[in-house]
Amino acid sequence: MVNLNAVLLISFLLFSIGVIGVLIRRNALVILMCVELMLNAANLNFIAFARHSGSVSGQAFALLLMGFAAAEVAVGLALVVALYRKRDTVQVDDINLLKG
Amino acid sequence: MEHFIETIGRNMFAIFGVMALAGAAIMVASKSAVHSVLGFLFAMLCIAGCYLSLQAEFLGMAQILVYAGGIVVLFLFVVMLVELTKHQGGDIFHLQSRYAVVTVLIGAAAFSAVFRKTLFGPASKEALVLRPDLAKGLDVATHNAQAVSRGLFADYLLPFEILSVILLVALVGAVVLAKTERV
Repeated sequence: MVNLNAVLLISFLLFSIGVIGVLIRRNALVILMCVELMLNAANLNFIAFARHSGSVSGQAFALLLMGFAAAEVAVGLALVVALYRKRDTVQVDDINLLKG
Repeated sequence: MEHFIETIGRNMFAIFGVMALAGAAIMVASKSAVHSVLGFLFAMLCIAGCYLSLQAEFLGMAQILVYAGGIVVLFLFVVMLVELTKHQGGDIFHLQSRYAVVTVLIGAAAFSAVFRKTLFGPASKEALVLRPDLAKGLDVATHNAQAVSRGLFADYLLPFEILSVILLVALVGAVVLAKTERV
């Protein structure tokens, strides 16, 4: 049996790992993966609350969110490839076009 | 032995959750990008297991298909495409660890402020089960895909259609961004 607090705690920890990864990694690909991880933590909450309230809306929205994450990752990876073509790197420290 | 298996079956969510956390930690901490992608794959599969143990069977399968089948393969292709070996020597971490610590501490404070009363209160003993009076007309536990489709196509048809437009825009945008420039 699962209780709601266990799900919320796991989801919070997953989200924290995602935030830490976005802030401390330099590789743009790993940063994108961490954003995906944060979206998944939100999805887990949607499903837990759907289970808690007994309605199916949370699961439907989790499915929509999954499609949205796929669209986001496609655009993000296209940006990474375009940046690699232009600057020959995917390390975010080296990408400072706007700094002048 | 039977008791042991029963204990595992009861704590399936916690086991998958801890394994997902381990996969996520491997993803953040590993030096090589391919190892990061493998950690990501492991975390996604374990989150699919969490969905299954929360009795969202359709979403668990969709998670495996979309993430393990689609997104991870896409990431691996990009890792292969952009050559990462030439930056192998340098430090993999930013020096933004202070901001990371502060952000996570703020998040933890907000979390504990919200759950201060409920985390150890009487609600923490209450198991997450479906109240039958709420799922009127549908057996969500045994007909999960039907229930999700009813939610998706009856109650939330407009967000679903908007999502299809977003996917089309993302498709065109990705093609435009990634195509080679012709001068």
